[in-house]
Amino acid sequence: MKLRRPDLDPETIAWTLGTLAVAGAVVGASVVGFGLYNVSARSGHLPGVSWALHTTFRQSVERQAPPKSEVPELTPEMAALGARHFEAACAVCHSAPGRNRTATMEVMNPVPPHIEVASRNWDPEEFHWIVDEGVKMSGMPAWPADREPEVWPVVAFLMDVQDGMTGEEYEALTRMEGGSAEGFEYCAACHGERGATDNPHIPRLDILSAEYMSVALDAYARGARDSGFMEHAASEVPRETLADLAARFAEYQPSGDAGDMSELAGEGRTLAYAEGGDSNVPSCRACHGPWPEPIKESFPALAGQHAPYLEAQLKLWRDGARGGGPTQELMHSAARELSDEDIAALAAYYAALAPATLNETAERP
Amino acid sequence: MRWWTFIGSKAMRGPAATKAQQGTADPGDGTTRHDMSDDRIVRPRLRQALCALALATLPGCSGVQHVLAPAGTDAGFLANLFWIMLAGAVVLWIFMNGLMVYVTRINVRQMSPKKAEALIIGGGIVFPTVVIACLLSYALAAMPDMRAEGTGTRLKVTGEQWWWRVEYWPEGADAPIVSANEIVLPAGSRSEIALTADKVIHSFWVPALGGKTDMFPGRETRMSLEPLEPGTYRGQCTEFCGDSHAWMAFNTVVLPQEEYDAWLENAATDAVAPEGEAATRGREVFFAEGCGACHQVRGTAATGKVGPDLTHLGSRTSLAAGTLPLDEPSLIRWVRDAKAVKPGAEMPAYDHLSDDDLSDLAAYLEGLI
Repeated sequence: MKLRRPDLDPETIAWTLGTLAVAGAVVGASVVGFGLYNVSARSGHLPGVSWALHTTFRQSVERQAPPKSEVPELTPEMAALGARHFEAACAVCHSAPGRNRTATMEVMNPVPPHIEVASRNWDPEEFHWIVDEGVKMSGMPAWPADREPEVWPVVAFLMDVQDGMTGEEYEALTRMEGGSAEGFEYCAACHGERGATDNPHIPRLDILSAEYMSVALDAYARGARDSGFMEHAASEVPRETLADLAARFAEYQPSGDAGDMSELAGEGRTLAYAEGGDSNVPSCRACHGPWPEPIKESFPALAGQHAPYLEAQLKLWRDGARGGGPTQELMHSAARELSDEDIAALAAYYAALAPATLNETAERP
Repeated sequence: MRWWTFIGSKAMRGPAATKAQQGTADPGDGTTRHDMSDDRIVRPRLRQALCALALATLPGCSGVQHVLAPAGTDAGFLANLFWIMLAGAVVLWIFMNGLMVYVTRINVRQMSPKKAEALIIGGGIVFPTVVIACLLSYALAAMPDMRAEGTGTRLKVTGEQWWWRVEYWPEGADAPIVSANEIVLPAGSRSEIALTADKVIHSFWVPALGGKTDMFPGRETRMSLEPLEPGTYRGQCTEFCGDSHAWMAFNTVVLPQEEYDAWLENAATDAVAPEGEAATRGREVFFAEGCGACHQVRGTAATGKVGPDLTHLGSRTSLAAGTLPLDEPSLIRWVRDAKAVKPGAEMPAYDHLSDDDLSDLAAYLEGLI
């Protein structure tokens, strides 16, 4: 008698697989649909799951992080900006140097590590990746804007924490003059008490008009203009107070002297006046001064603005990554043909002018 | 349905109707804006292309852009050349075909090999060679005249995307008189025209006045024209140069010598701010909005070199390089959204300006004569 091998019968195989698939689908649907899985943060993960998740996270960061060569020079001014953003956006989960973790932080799942702990064992490029991209299913958010270079100031701060920043140092960096997290003092913590910060990565506001700042703040609040710093800040302040804040900063009279007209700044002047014979770049001064006729107040003044800030913004304009206001197309057209050298020269020129509002901008004060 | 009614009905329906047909009504909150703008880009392009095609053939029917209605020495010669070439071709054609018909249909009989060879060599080689050689030497002999150096006005025209930068260089001048999108020439003298281009190759052609010459970035070519009849003649870029190639035209205004001299004298002067409330307000708008960053209005702070010179815009016969008539509605339409008129134009949209601002600005620009 010949034995038949039942496992080779295609019909039986099909029936078996089909039944298993239906059963699996029913079980899966029940777990999802009837809430059979307990999502309680209290219950924790099954043994081994935490390890698997954390190892996946570490390996993924190591693999995805940009090369070390992309790390720029990290300056104390960058760290100061990073510290203030950390205080506003990150300290709520990661605490801060010299501070305790709250009981609430400690029962989150996964537990966000204290920043003094979290800052150990990562390199700057890895920090950059984590802060920019966030970590899925861990509660760690991505940077709120598509502005990867903005993350470096936060990295500069984190490296200082890694190097042992004390609580006193941190508090000195993030102190607000008796203010709340919602008002003028909150803005002034970064932009300076009279809107005239000397941190070159933060724009001074005393030269800007209320009209320009209102439009910019509104664009940040609507998500129409990208900036991880400012979108966070503008969304933390009540929307209806934005115009008042802009008006308050606009009231300050710009003070300060003109800087030296370096050779680079001289090249910038030629560009700003469109005297270089290049018929592809409009003259900057027709909208930003110095200009003998009254200019519309919704264009920003640039006289005395910090060069690194101007440089960063001009590059964003040229690359089409900045906008948000109703006249953005003007600036996209204007900046399209600028080279990196042109941008450096223009930033140097406007930074060297005496700080002034738009229609007061002049060559010599 | 005939093809033109088909195009018309498409044009009338527009993107909103297309949406409605597809059953995805626009909720009115702008959520379908992306789709709509796609529609807007694709359909007007098609329509514009078809209109351009129709329009391109139209001027051929009238005198303003017609090679066979010459208004200058060079175009006159070219028109003659055309007729003579045509006559030569007709003679050749009739003779050859007549001969063929004669020997194969009318007088069919045996021919000696010698006679047949003579017929083939004489009619098939010698006669066409003689006729073509005559035509060729006539045409070649005229070439030096067509490239003769101009003795009167000297101009330089630069092809931009998609407009013309025009400089007049009067005898002994250190700096040119700058204008744009219109060429004024004196009748009865030969003008020398230097040609170049900014970014891509263009070609300069005023069919009623002469032949065409290419314009290359970084290189100067030249031509000369001798208009005879005063009048306005249309010129056109004849080398495909991008999105708005079809909209890159210009008018050539030919004036009697005295009128030309007076015109040039005025063209050399600085702008005079037009009077009137609207124009005065328009001037403020012009300077407050930063128009001077790209445009020049001589005699003011506006010294921009990116776009066309506007010093005497109001005295020109067309707007946007022969695309629109020069009037207030066209100026408003152009300033509000230039790209909607001329795809790819570098002029940014000023759709943030109020209707009042736009019409005041138009009054100012129209007043720059």
